[in-house]
Amino acid sequence: MTRDERLVAYADGELSGDQLARFETELAADPGLAQAVERHRALARRLSAAYAPVLDEPVPSQLISAARQQPAARRGPPQWAAMAACLVAGVAGGVVLTRYAGPQEGPIMARDGGLVAMGRLETALTSQLASQGGPIKLGLTFRTAAGRYCRTFQSPEDRLAGLACREPGGWTLQATARMAPAQTQGEYRTAGSDTPGAVLAAVDGLIAGSPLDAAAERAARDSGWK
Amino acid sequence: MDGFEREIVALLPRLRRFGRVLAHDPADADDLVQLAVERGLTRRGQFQAGTRLDSWMFGIMRNAWIDETRFRRRRSAILAPAEDAERVGHAGDVDAAMAARDVQQAMATLPDDQRIAIALVLIEGFSYKDAAEVLKLPMGTVASRIVRGRMALMAQLQEFAS
Repeated sequence: MTRDERLVAYADGELSGDQLARFETELAADPGLAQAVERHRALARRLSAAYAPVLDEPVPSQLISAARQQPAARRGPPQWAAMAACLVAGVAGGVVLTRYAGPQEGPIMARDGGLVAMGRLETALTSQLASQGGPIKLGLTFRTAAGRYCRTFQSPEDRLAGLACREPGGWTLQATARMAPAQTQGEYRTAGSDTPGAVLAAVDGLIAGSPLDAAAERAARDSGWK
Repeated sequence: MDGFEREIVALLPRLRRFGRVLAHDPADADDLVQLAVERGLTRRGQFQAGTRLDSWMFGIMRNAWIDETRFRRRRSAILAPAEDAERVGHAGDVDAAMAARDVQQAMATLPDDQRIAIALVLIEGFSYKDAAEVLKLPMGTVASRIVRGRMALMAQLQEFAS
């Protein structure tokens, strides 16, 4: 360690044993060194004081909502959407999530501790391009660092938005979010700003490089997302 | 709200403080906190019970800052350097506010690696060892960033000049 490193480590309480004993001997013999230690400690106090008021500020409600996984606008979502959100958060099960009644109607099924897309959601993820319309809209398509393809989607009718990635067993859901009711009345040509923050955050966590452009998206689909 | 979510809520004030060191602009800082919270919840399956949740969340937030360039873009687009002054409020205390402003300006000039190490140790109170764990770096690297960061801050904050 250099003299500055020892000095700073001492001021930060990081020296111990022999190093500490040696430094204290040095310190006793050199008043200039003691002053330098005090300047470093004063700097630490000043830094800490400069940012301390943030702790006393009220925490914005949207942050508390984010931590509680409550969308800002809450309005009777389909029951399975809430269940899907729970399952994505870590609860595994072997049940088929049903939208209204019948066991095969839901777009998402829990399997092997994960959630996979079913029915028309699976069909849309597999075959539909972002430029194509339909009850389900595809948004961003991108690859992960491991080379898997992932796609964001929105299903206004189900008030569901999410991110699914292609795996050997099908499209697995990485994130789902409820869409606010107001959003279900507009156009859904692109994902962009319509995509809920929780889904974008999941994209941020998985994307490697840039999203695919239309040509690359088509090529990936035509080659079976391999 | 389950226990995990409650603990995250309890961490929010500290995450906001760390955000203010990283992003300067309060709105950008809170956007960064929100992104980190969302990522943390998305990945909660990866959190190892018995380890420190604060370390884990600070690590996620630091990574979000590093690979999320949009906060920096927005900041440079909106804030002229002269406006980049007081980012932490000190209601009614002019001296404290000015002292804080000088510190924040000095911090803003540090490279990310030094600023983050300084924030974790001097503001958040992590030991070098714990900060190294947050940053997934050897402890010696953290120690040398702290030294360089401290020296740069001292050089800028006149009252500490020797």
